Amino acid sequence: MNEYKTTVGIEVHAELKTKSKIFSNSANNYGKMANTCTNVIDLGYPGVLPTVNEKAIELALRAALVLNCKINKKMHFDRKNYFYPDNPKNYQITQNRTPIGINGYVEINVKDGKKKIRIHDIHIEEDTCKSIHNKNKSMLDFNRAGIPLVEIVTEADINSSEEAMKYLEKLRELLLYADVSDCKIEEGSMRCDCNVSVSKTEKLGTKIEIKNIGSITNVGVAIDYETKRQIALLENKKELKEETRRFDDKTNTTVLMRIKETGNDYRYFPEPDIPFIELNDQYIRDVYNNLPMLAEERRRIYLKSGINEINAQKIIQNRIISDYLNKFINKDINLVIASNLLLGDIAAYLNKYEIKIENTKLTDDKFIDVVNYLNSQKINSKVFKTILDDIMEEDLSIDEILEKSGFKEINNEELVDIIKEVLKNNEQSVNDYHAGNTRSIKYIMGQIMKETKGNANPKEINSILEDLLNK
Amino acid sequence: MSKYLDLSLKEINKLLKDKKIKPIDLVEEAFENIEKNKDINSFITLDKENAFKVAKELENKEVDNLLFGIPIAIKDNICTKNLRTTCASKMLENFIPNYDATVVEKIKSKNMIIIGKTNMDEFAMGSTSRTSYFGAPKNPWNKKRIAGGSSGGSASCISSRIVPFALGSDTGGSIRQPASYCGIVGMKPTYGRISRYGLVAFGSSLDQIGPMTRNVYENAELLNILCGKDEKDLTSIDKEKEDFTSLINTDIKGMNIAIPKYFVTDIVEKEVLDKFNEIVEILKEKGCNIEYIDIDYIENAVTLYQIIAMGEASSNLARFDGIRYGYSYENPQNLEELYTKTRQFGFGDEVKRRIMVGSFILSGENAKIYYDKALKIRDDIRKSFLKAFKKFDLIIGPTTTTVAYDLESNLDDPSKTFLDDILVIPVNMAGLPGLNVPIGFSKDKMPIGLHIIGNAFDEKTIYKLASSIEKTLDLNLDPRGEKNE
Repeated sequence: MNEYKTTVGIEVHAELKTKSKIFSNSANNYGKMANTCTNVIDLGYPGVLPTVNEKAIELALRAALVLNCKINKKMHFDRKNYFYPDNPKNYQITQNRTPIGINGYVEINVKDGKKKIRIHDIHIEEDTCKSIHNKNKSMLDFNRAGIPLVEIVTEADINSSEEAMKYLEKLRELLLYADVSDCKIEEGSMRCDCNVSVSKTEKLGTKIEIKNIGSITNVGVAIDYETKRQIALLENKKELKEETRRFDDKTNTTVLMRIKETGNDYRYFPEPDIPFIELNDQYIRDVYNNLPMLAEERRRIYLKSGINEINAQKIIQNRIISDYLNKFINKDINLVIASNLLLGDIAAYLNKYEIKIENTKLTDDKFIDVVNYLNSQKINSKVFKTILDDIMEEDLSIDEILEKSGFKEINNEELVDIIKEVLKNNEQSVNDYHAGNTRSIKYIMGQIMKETKGNANPKEINSILEDLLNK
Repeated sequence: MSKYLDLSLKEINKLLKDKKIKPIDLVEEAFENIEKNKDINSFITLDKENAFKVAKELENKEVDNLLFGIPIAIKDNICTKNLRTTCASKMLENFIPNYDATVVEKIKSKNMIIIGKTNMDEFAMGSTSRTSYFGAPKNPWNKKRIAGGSSGGSASCISSRIVPFALGSDTGGSIRQPASYCGIVGMKPTYGRISRYGLVAFGSSLDQIGPMTRNVYENAELLNILCGKDEKDLTSIDKEKEDFTSLINTDIKGMNIAIPKYFVTDIVEKEVLDKFNEIVEILKEKGCNIEYIDIDYIENAVTLYQIIAMGEASSNLARFDGIRYGYSYENPQNLEELYTKTRQFGFGDEVKRRIMVGSFILSGENAKIYYDKALKIRDDIRKSFLKAFKKFDLIIGPTTTTVAYDLESNLDDPSKTFLDDILVIPVNMAGLPGLNVPIGFSKDKMPIGLHIIGNAFDEKTIYKLASSIEKTLDLNLDPRGEKNE
């Protein structure tokens, strides 16, 4: 008997990172007091008209470009008519007939190479209000109404929870690095709905939609659960109906929301209040050429500079660190050390004090100096750790910090004197060494480090020490 | 009693400039006129207190423009800040906007004085103003007859000489047809000429605000201040500033004028057609070249209008759901009941009928069968008109097929009243400017109007012809009959 095959299509809504809403000038802000970022246009008052936020169009175009879509150079908006309290005009302005991008793809890595997940379309639309249900009352927060969104719809090309998660991670990375969206799933600026079906034949099974999945990991959990649930039902000769289910993250299961009625009638028609928008070739080229450096390119540069794959991935997962590191990719510094600092001690410092890197006293010059000092072993990592707080908090250069902290550089002559002194005071150990007990040299090293307060280069100490001992 | 409002705009302006009268005198007179003409029912809401306050404030200001201190009435589907805007509907009976329509801002910036909001068909849906929740306005020429619609209140208040200026809106003839029935001048400008921001939408791709006045010159002067690109309305169009009065009373000799054959068929009543033909003869005498032409598909314009306007209306009026503003059904059992009862009791029959037809038209496959096809044919009508304008300066016809009829007639069949607009609707389909100018009276003394259609953004040529006809005919258009013909 044939195995069941899972087929998944994913719809992602991503909020565009604009200052104002898509059809009005009220602010696009997350986390403000309810109904403080709204005006008569967002509220759908009589007689008011939409205007179009050009930045939203630009960001949507960026998204369409990084998803390898064909661009609809002459596009318009459509009205999607349906009554719901979170839909202020009882129609949503969206794109139905001329989505900004069509026929794109996202490439993901799978076991046996790469797989293209085809993008059916990407279109621009306005977000709805947020409904807040409290006991038997429902409240509406219009701050979200009119925030620009892109909806990205895949073909049914995904065949496992793993592929779904990889697709979403890749999509998130693309949108994040194209500066299209924050893609914060927990804040709702990226939302995923999955259509899951199972079938033993080439013909697709009954499509079940899962909404309300709060993380990429849970998309995987939901798809696995849904696959098992559907197979179990089919094996028990039950018939599946098209329905919408909700993911419940407490039980890691899906729960029925509503059965889909046949043919939702949204009565689409072209939005008469907004003329056609033309995206000419020059504009498309300009937007393409001004794209920020994407994750793929960054990964390539990092690997080439010697950063290992795990760290390269870690950097890319944190846009702030990646952007910070990128300031130095054309400077003459050791990027491996730089990336280790950023991922290690500096990240720990920022986490501990819950502070942003741009709000510290770490200037670009200081960062270059400290990386170079570490690289030439002028200081070691222990010294670095000791002076890290000063680096981040003081308006002083690295040299000034070192001096202030008593980490004076010791010149060769002084070092020879110190070592001679230590050897004189530890005759027993020197004798042990000559007698063949090589371990005693470690003790002597320790004593020298103590005397130099760690300010001397261990390599140099070693070479002087060897000279003196083997005279 | 003073009679300043009967003077011409220029005369009133001179008196104001010379400090012989104050704006408050004009406001006082306007409200006296309203009192005298109460039975005409032109107004839904009066703004008496504020009008007097504004007039008083203007006494300290310099009379810096022609429209300074002049009273004006606003159709009640145009939003006025802090002044009730009902759309003649129970749905908005208590709706007070906290924003001005762009045209209202413009009127205020010229220090015109808004005296009130005029009666109309509910949500501008109708051609008689009888669908008003506040009762129909009457025709000042015969109070048993309709004023026309939907801008019936604006037309009747100009006709009865309550105020010299009013704003109307025209989706399928709603300025020109009542202007014709009431014997005044009404202009529907080119689509995009005037901002629609603050005009409560009916058929968004057709709606246009326009001036309604006693005469042609004053109409052009009001259009001068209403027009212009508005950042708040993406469908408004940027055009170089021009003076719409510039061709008024210039010689019309040599003008090329077309008459669509459809406009002079037996759909037009004989009395109206005869009057129109008299005008055609006058124009020929004055040296105009007149030709009869065909405009493709104009006989389908009413059907297209019903599809496009109602389709758009069904979506535009969806926002009236009882949640945020306007009438709201009390203590609904659930969401479904809030929606259905609010809309059942908030809207009148004609509005509900059009929402249902519009929803049907856009539903499922119907969108392709009706709406998409209608948009295509509409485009063909526009092209056909534009082709005609390559050869002709203007297109003319009668504005209406009949004169204003009895308030009680045509009540049985709601589809009949659409025929009132059969001659004016093609202009909305093509987005072109069109104007009504009175050309005489029927034997029972009801006004007859001429419809002048211009090329896109060529309103001033329309005013040229209209002013010439107005001057030649020199009609007494005052229904009070105080001046003798």
